Amino acid sequence: MLVPFVGISESIERIKELVAHVSDTGLNVVITGESGVGKEVVAQNLYHSSGRKDKPFVKVNCAALPEGLLESELFGFEKGAFTGADRKKRGKFELANEGVLFLDEIGDMSLNLQSKLLHVLQSGEFAPLGSEREMKTDAWVLAATNQELNEKVKNGLFREDLYYRLNIIKIYIPPLRKRPEDIPLLIDYFLEKYASQFGDKRLIKPDHAIMDRLISYQWPGNVRELQNILKSCLVVGNWEEVINELSFKSEMVSNSGFVATGTNEASIIDDLLNFQGENSPNHAAFSLKKIKRKALDRIEKEIISHVLDQTGWNRTKATKILKISYKTLLYKISDLNIKPPPDTSGKISS
Amino acid sequence: MTVKKFYVHSIIFLSKKNYDVATASDGLDGIKLLENEKSGFDLVITDLVMPNISGIAVISIIKNKFPDTPVIAITGWGEHPEALAAEANVDAVLEKPFELSELYTMIKDLLST
Repeated sequence: MLVPFVGISESIERIKELVAHVSDTGLNVVITGESGVGKEVVAQNLYHSSGRKDKPFVKVNCAALPEGLLESELFGFEKGAFTGADRKKRGKFELANEGVLFLDEIGDMSLNLQSKLLHVLQSGEFAPLGSEREMKTDAWVLAATNQELNEKVKNGLFREDLYYRLNIIKIYIPPLRKRPEDIPLLIDYFLEKYASQFGDKRLIKPDHAIMDRLISYQWPGNVRELQNILKSCLVVGNWEEVINELSFKSEMVSNSGFVATGTNEASIIDDLLNFQGENSPNHAAFSLKKIKRKALDRIEKEIISHVLDQTGWNRTKATKILKISYKTLLYKISDLNIKPPPDTSGKISS
Repeated sequence: MTVKKFYVHSIIFLSKKNYDVATASDGLDGIKLLENEKSGFDLVITDLVMPNISGIAVISIIKNKFPDTPVIAITGWGEHPEALAAEANVDAVLEKPFELSELYTMIKDLLST
């Protein structure tokens, strides 16, 4: 079923226009954008508006398979081509003949396979593994990536000739944070769509205050994250609970970078493991128990600091929110070395 | 010469030679211009590297929809899609930097055939 590409922003309107103009050309397309922006949705829209819509749409995730397996997936193999090839298997290029071959995560394809892909794109021919016979294919190749392919070309990780051959048409989908005007439309669309999936669970439309928070949120996971949030709200049955969590998460990101992307997660792990110090795996003092304690302390410190900041360092209010005794809070402030921001230090009275 | 300057110079130059010149800032706008111009164009000059619809795609689309319209592709230093332009049946390729007189000669040649 075709998923419409929902949005009213200038960039989305432009993409719709682009899709309408190129869907019947059969020219190679590269769709780029961050994870979760809807690259596959654009690919599906290209396919459905083309004359190939009654032919197969075949998707291959180039990052999900090791090189050898990806090669046999793409080109297929003859019986006896390698150990374990006890029967002939048709490749995706053959299956997608006259239809669409959607190569997701093309930036992760190895250089060796890139040259084989280039050969198919140049000649329209490929040979299944173990076969001497070249087969013709008329698959329309649509590729997608969240990586900067031109950077990969500069670094020698992506073939320049393949880059030019794929980049005949480029469709860039901006992240959701750059097109907040699309958020209300997407919410309406998905709520309508999920209503039937969640049975009787209906969610009233977000009011202005909630919508403002949804629009101002950064959506690092883009439309996919929005979909997950909406599903959570439907399960919970209200907006507040999930939205509060969301706001908290975004503040944590902007304040400390604590809840965050892969790179930050990696640095947190490095930090927690402190490889140079006492927690070095080679050190006698290394223990999971110690790391767990350290991680818990760190999370506790972040949360208590956040609540204290929110209450203007009113400790009585903070104890009520945190549901701990006043004495425990004082102990935690001292033990975890939580310091008030300089401008509120004078106000600490309670 | 910057891209913008180059275009301005080309337009002034070609207008002085009594050609009607229409311009588009990228491939998509170019294709739309071609589709919407009822009387059609006698010749198209396109860059090869452009946002959204590349010059290669512009050439392919023109050669498919308007096979009699000649196309000149302009390519920048360090770009190597000329082979693709040839595959797409481009009529002529002009490599930057070039003299506007070279472009003029090329246009005259293509329009006289």
